[in-house]
Amino acid sequence: MADQASVLIDDFGPLAMHRPRSVAEIGNLVRQAAVENRAIYPIGGGTMLDRGLPPSHPGLAVTLDHLSEVIDYPTRDMTITVQAGITIDQLQNTLQRENQRLPIDVPRACSATLGGILACNISGPRRYGFGTLRDYVIGISVVNDRGQEIKAGGRVVKNVAGYDLCKLFVGSLGTLGIITQVTLKLRPMPEERALVLLPSDSETLPKLLNLLHGSRTCPVCIDLLNEGFVRHLNHQPKMQLPEAAWLILVGYEDNRDNVSWQIQQLTKELAAENARGLDARIGITSQPIYQAMGDLALRPESSLIFKANLPAGGTADFCRQLSGLRIDLAMQAHAGNGIVTGHLEHDLNLETARDLVQMIHAWIPPSGNLVIHRCPVAWKKHLPIWGKSRNDGGLMRRVKHTLDPQGIFNPGRFVEGI
Amino acid sequence: MSTSTGHSLIDRLRSIVGHAGLLNSPSDLLVYECDGFTIEKNKPDVVVFPTSTDDIARIVQACNEFQVPFLPRGAGTSLAGGCLPVGGGVMIALTRMKRILEVNIRDRYAVVEPGVVNLWLSNHLKPFGFHFAPDPSSQGACTIGGNTATNSGGPHTLKYGVTVNHVLGLEFVLPDGRVVQTGGPVEDNPGYDLTGVIVGSEGTFGIASKIWVRISRNPEAYRTLLGIFETVDDATNTISDIIGAGIIPGALEMLDRLILQAVEAAFHFGFPLDAGAALIMEVDGLDAGLDTDAERIAAIAIRNNAREVRRAKSEADRALLWKCRKQAFGAVGRLAPSYCTQDGVVPRTRLPHILRVIQKISDKYQVRVANVFHAGDGNIHPILLFDERDPGQVKRVLQAGHDILDECIACGGSVTGEHGIGVEKINFMPKLFNPEDLAMMQRLRSVFNPDGRCSPLKMLPTAGACIEPSKAGRRASL
Repeated sequence: MADQASVLIDDFGPLAMHRPRSVAEIGNLVRQAAVENRAIYPIGGGTMLDRGLPPSHPGLAVTLDHLSEVIDYPTRDMTITVQAGITIDQLQNTLQRENQRLPIDVPRACSATLGGILACNISGPRRYGFGTLRDYVIGISVVNDRGQEIKAGGRVVKNVAGYDLCKLFVGSLGTLGIITQVTLKLRPMPEERALVLLPSDSETLPKLLNLLHGSRTCPVCIDLLNEGFVRHLNHQPKMQLPEAAWLILVGYEDNRDNVSWQIQQLTKELAAENARGLDARIGITSQPIYQAMGDLALRPESSLIFKANLPAGGTADFCRQLSGLRIDLAMQAHAGNGIVTGHLEHDLNLETARDLVQMIHAWIPPSGNLVIHRCPVAWKKHLPIWGKSRNDGGLMRRVKHTLDPQGIFNPGRFVEGI
Repeated sequence: MSTSTGHSLIDRLRSIVGHAGLLNSPSDLLVYECDGFTIEKNKPDVVVFPTSTDDIARIVQACNEFQVPFLPRGAGTSLAGGCLPVGGGVMIALTRMKRILEVNIRDRYAVVEPGVVNLWLSNHLKPFGFHFAPDPSSQGACTIGGNTATNSGGPHTLKYGVTVNHVLGLEFVLPDGRVVQTGGPVEDNPGYDLTGVIVGSEGTFGIASKIWVRISRNPEAYRTLLGIFETVDDATNTISDIIGAGIIPGALEMLDRLILQAVEAAFHFGFPLDAGAALIMEVDGLDAGLDTDAERIAAIAIRNNAREVRRAKSEADRALLWKCRKQAFGAVGRLAPSYCTQDGVVPRTRLPHILRVIQKISDKYQVRVANVFHAGDGNIHPILLFDERDPGQVKRVLQAGHDILDECIACGGSVTGEHGIGVEKINFMPKLFNPEDLAMMQRLRSVFNPDGRCSPLKMLPTAGACIEPSKAGRRASL
């Protein structure tokens, strides 16, 4: 986004792009916007700009690419404080030099920024073992609706002083302020890692996922791809993933003795179930597969992307139901977490999409939901982009109304018309 | 206070919870005048024991009608005055809502009522090989509702996180009596993470009536080591080096000389009485690879001048070691008639510094200080020993505690890692946060608790300004 003078969000705009060089400048922009009754659309690396509903109020875009410094990295404390405009690649490269990392899989990490992935609450295959961003943000600074930089949390890994605003801002889609600075808790790089590839047919799938759930081993990832996605990944060099109706990818990370034992143990457990075609990618060869799996979330060819969340135990049946829906549906599931994303390419009209979404909603138990991550802009007002309304929706609107009464930040784009 | 219909609030409350669900005689109320923070005390005007969400909602509505403040209470084991009824009013004790409503092993969650005792849940899950990860030292008594309110920690937070990392959703009675559900058994619900902000809000946002928690698989094996060091510096350097080597132990607990002596007198573990510090170092998980980690840890300790490194040889050995740690506070009773514990946090690498400063403060105020704490997190628990019958000592202890926390702030740390702000540390909030930060927190509170009637005068220094503390006149009218 760096060199653009303006930007369109969901065909709305052009919005003049501001690139402040200091937090004070951001504060001025917010105060000025408040006076002029204009909206502010915070932008990170621009990789997920199409997420949510179209903007509802004229205004300007603010990107933090000039605010990307490492503020403090006390390596032995395993925390880092950085400005929010830092790209994920920059961040991870800095950490890697000290044999540390933020264990979150981020699509298009070369462009995505920390502020952006926090706002969108990005996660990937390894969330099963390492959790999500809310588990790693220990301090946050945000420019609020009054143009003040406020902070919450701190720089120590354990801290219960004051309300935990970090949780509020993670996943708030930029609707409550502009994240300027973040302190993260870090993890050491594992000594060894491995991805076990386990092809499956539709019939065996539930049994295998149940087996993995009850396995003595401790996977950090239990992901599931359907054949459509496996084929897509196999177009990339060095993948050579086994093609079957379903491919389960089971990740292990720990010290060498532990990982090699886990692979052997899983092999034993699977042999008892007559599972065949086991293949393990050990060490650094697993990394490109993780990156490719993460990148699927933003696959450019997909014109409709939806994400379902449901109880993890229902993942296999739900995926099998989905696969009967359309032959061209590409699917990825974080099966250990009950998160399923589906992708469709062109050849779809609004009517069909609406019917599909309605049908899928009906398959999801009441505790779950279905959100649409991407679709043509014109469809957005006809589809339930943020899923069905929940009983805490009113409380969310009150949060927005109290912390941003003028509706300055990213108006109209989030749940409940926030 | 009476309404035009002539019914008093007490009558109204009794109609909700029955005679057996209400206490208001002065002797009964004495139990509820404080929590584990005993320096300030104040009795509530009445204590009620709801047994359902609907009870809580009706109690809250009644309090609103009569304009009387109210606050929730679990087992009262909190250490910062979080459930101290500052303005009197109605205390809503949740200890009779103690059912485990659902356990779902396949989807890895359980649903509990707020009064379920922390350890009950883990005991209940034992046959399935699962447990509830947060395990504060008070886990035999404290409730999961209380854990949720204070975002409790415990010795295993370094690897497994604190309560908020294990709470998936809440059924929640708002201070206006409405019931909402945030989050739930399924991950990634769209919208703001309201569960995340409610956990740790110390009862100032409302009252949880049902809690969805994540359950975790029990580690298959442990290696528990005890390192004996001549100096605290050597012990703390060992901690940094272990983590620097990429090992995340399940627990890293430090005991200093004074506490070692007290614990040894109580439990006869065999701690050397002349050692400067001891470290309990435990790795857990799958059996495979644990020996590698344990050997590395032992080597790191030796490199940092450990006098000896012992390994727990049996489960009984390990259990005794943990008993010494978890009941260390009890053993302190041998050292002095009263004690007060602090809960500061510093970056892990500043531990040697803060412990030296604590020693200086101890000398300055002539207050003995024992240290036993979660070293891996940098969360210190200096225990200040005194005799509460001596007002001079009480004053010196309070001053020494403040100096310690001030130094934690100066080190870039915090004044509470797991006990909470409550009333005890409310005056430190302006030292940690500037007025804009606090105003933002106040605005967030006003979303949930606009009248400030729920848990007034907690957490934020300016909070609840519109609430009048319950005065004698008001009490009489109850």
